Amino acid sequence: MVFKLQRRSFLQLALGTAATVGTSARIASAAANDAVTIGWPNDVPSWDPNQRFTPDAQPVFKAVFDQPLDQDQHLKLIPHLIKSWNLAADGLSMAVELRDDVTFHNGDKMTTEDFRYTFFERIKSGIKLDTANSWKKVQDIVIESPTKATMKFDSPAPTAPQWMAFLGSYIVPKKYIESQGLDNFLKNPVGTGPYKLAEYELNSRIVLERNDKYWGPKAKIGRVTIQIIKDPSARVAAIQSGQVDCTLNVPVREVERFNKEAGFAAEINPITRVILLNVRADLAFADKNVRLAAHHAIDKTALSKAFYGGAAVPLSVLATPGTPGYLTDFSFKYDPELAKQLLAKSNFSPANPVKIGLAATNGQFPSDYDIARAIVQMWKQVGIDADLQVIEYAKYFELNRGGKLPEATLYSWDNATGDPEIFSGYQLNPKMPFSPWKDEDIGQKVLGLFSVADYDKRIAGYRDLERYAVENGATMPLLQSVLTIVRKRNLKYTKYDNGWLLPQTLQWT
Amino acid sequence: MIATVLKLIARRLLAAIPILLVVSALLFCVLRLLPVDPAAMSLPPTATIEEIDAKRREMGLDRPLPQQYLIWLTDALHGDFGRSIQFGREAGSMVWATLPVTIELAGAAMALAAILGVGGGLLLFHVRGTLFEPVADLLSILLLSIPEFLWGLILLFIFGVVLHLLPFTGQVAPGLPLPHITGFLLLDSLLIGRFDVFLSACQHLILPAFALGLAFSPTIMRVLRSSLFDVYHEDYIQQARLRGLSEGRILLGHALKNAALPTLTLAGVQFGILFSGTLLVEVIYSYPGMGNLMVDAVRNADLPLLQTIGLTYCIVVLVINTVVDSLYVVLNPKLRVR
Repeated sequence: MVFKLQRRSFLQLALGTAATVGTSARIASAAANDAVTIGWPNDVPSWDPNQRFTPDAQPVFKAVFDQPLDQDQHLKLIPHLIKSWNLAADGLSMAVELRDDVTFHNGDKMTTEDFRYTFFERIKSGIKLDTANSWKKVQDIVIESPTKATMKFDSPAPTAPQWMAFLGSYIVPKKYIESQGLDNFLKNPVGTGPYKLAEYELNSRIVLERNDKYWGPKAKIGRVTIQIIKDPSARVAAIQSGQVDCTLNVPVREVERFNKEAGFAAEINPITRVILLNVRADLAFADKNVRLAAHHAIDKTALSKAFYGGAAVPLSVLATPGTPGYLTDFSFKYDPELAKQLLAKSNFSPANPVKIGLAATNGQFPSDYDIARAIVQMWKQVGIDADLQVIEYAKYFELNRGGKLPEATLYSWDNATGDPEIFSGYQLNPKMPFSPWKDEDIGQKVLGLFSVADYDKRIAGYRDLERYAVENGATMPLLQSVLTIVRKRNLKYTKYDNGWLLPQTLQWT
Repeated sequence: MIATVLKLIARRLLAAIPILLVVSALLFCVLRLLPVDPAAMSLPPTATIEEIDAKRREMGLDRPLPQQYLIWLTDALHGDFGRSIQFGREAGSMVWATLPVTIELAGAAMALAAILGVGGGLLLFHVRGTLFEPVADLLSILLLSIPEFLWGLILLFIFGVVLHLLPFTGQVAPGLPLPHITGFLLLDSLLIGRFDVFLSACQHLILPAFALGLAFSPTIMRVLRSSLFDVYHEDYIQQARLRGLSEGRILLGHALKNAALPTLTLAGVQFGILFSGTLLVEVIYSYPGMGNLMVDAVRNADLPLLQTIGLTYCIVVLVINTVVDSLYVVLNPKLRVR
């Protein structure tokens, strides 16, 4: 009797389980055409989009929030929440006109009150926001009407339009945050974007649901699940097994393999991220011959082929192809013989090598440590004996501040805008913490360009600076970085030059 | 017996205070001596050197280390463990939110390790002196030599990628809700009456729990076998045989109980190691626990978060040791007399 009862219970449980699994599978199947799961490498740092500059999180923020301006696929600034803008000739003010048909997810209308709150009031209120740094020049925002306002800057802000479409610049709802409090906003963020946040689990998943009242083109897919998968091997396994429909930042070698498999498509896309050697102006690199020899000795094409399947474009300047600062008429050639001649002028040779240090991260960006090891070998051929040391990315700034970085450091720099100020301007600015190059000559040139409001003049200035910096060995651009994407073949996306994979551009075919 | 256990717990609680103080001070010093700049990390990359210096002063990083520690300790005693540099949220609440996930995973893994370890130990003991002994020995050594992260990758590949039998990302399937009542998903899914969520959570738990459990079961196997060898030299085993008890009853009814005590001690120590082993396994399986959070904290040199996680690991180990010692008292009558 006891056995019969147990068996009956067991059968009920088994049948119930089977029914549940079957039902779940059917639901999943029914929802499949209107749902997509993406394997994403990192979580968002916070649901306050103004709080933290995290390049990898921008596509997620762009799904839930909107920026005043946007960029097209080739990074040209285009109107978005702002219909039109006019940066004054002196760069001290910028008049903007907002759309009048935009509502937040909670139904509140977006106006210049929200614009002022985002770019002025929040910052001045003392809340810890990264945008407090990018918009520190804002002296006031004068509201003229619910759709018209003028930003006033305390010093020229020539890249204000670019920053309107860059890190952290998302309009947040004044009324909602002030009435509900910041903590509630972080739990239930409200934006104007094409998706609403339906569910969020720290370090696990982000579920987005289409905003059917979106002012712009509606997203094609109704439900997007962003599964946070930090381990690259696990992301490969997840797409391989069908647990996600699309993923990014997988090892380059996997791209070739997936392209041979039916049902998958994989791409290696060059993006607006540069891999470079940041160099010092002193120690063994005080000698210009040594710096230039070190640069001439690096075979960038070989590095690209070895580590990025040849997709990473070798660079001669601190800008990527297609961006305003890129020089098509300038090339810093790979010439090991010239490198030897330059070293010979300073009495160095393979038999009597110059000793330098090279720092590199291991795992901060794809193949970083391997690239550094290859460079050490290339340098050895011409008479540069480099001591390779691994550093944590988090330690970079502290080491740089304390003057403890070696002669050269392998570094990666992301700039979704493509603007030269955010490439060479930031990298060579002696007042910023990125570059170990501390030199009055180049420093003054850079600082001068930060105040040039005229766009054409500014771009021309940066193009001259880039050539000058490379010819003087103040920086050694190596490669344009790449982003790998693997997806189901019938899932299409819009390719952006800066590597954005925007959920609102995904669609099943 | 209850009084003895309560006394033991009280003693352990008192002893935990100086231990936690020392560990927190050590953690604080070690983290501050790392060549990382929390001030620079807490500002955007566009910040100037002057702004970083001002931030450093604001964060109190220019003060002597003992003074910094005292400030941290005072805040911690009031429940304020600082704010995460990367996430901008309270470090204490972030750890509190992820701790149940890790406990659930480690608990499931320990249960599996215990089942596999005890079963394997009995099997190893059973085949002693037979032709199978060297084979079983070799297998247990092989199991012992594979670390948990490698098990993680092997199981993921076999059961996730090749056989498509089990999911391996996150806690539940996309489309299913994640209830938040106690933080323990298996329990919460039952509390809200969602058997589908419970089932999905179990499916997602299997591979990471096995990856951890398989790595720790061989140690239990081998210690249990050694303990059984020792126990079988005792007189009461011979007496049991003389009384005509079957070998199975002697093993399970008498020898195993006595051999379990050293195994239990080992399991307690192992649980602490297993708990810290969740770090890599959680990353591989995208399991949103404390280990996963720690990887973020390390990557971003998020000192407040690292400090809080480190201290939590210490508390968990102390709690486990207290539980194991209490169980020891329950299982060993000799200790109750004292």
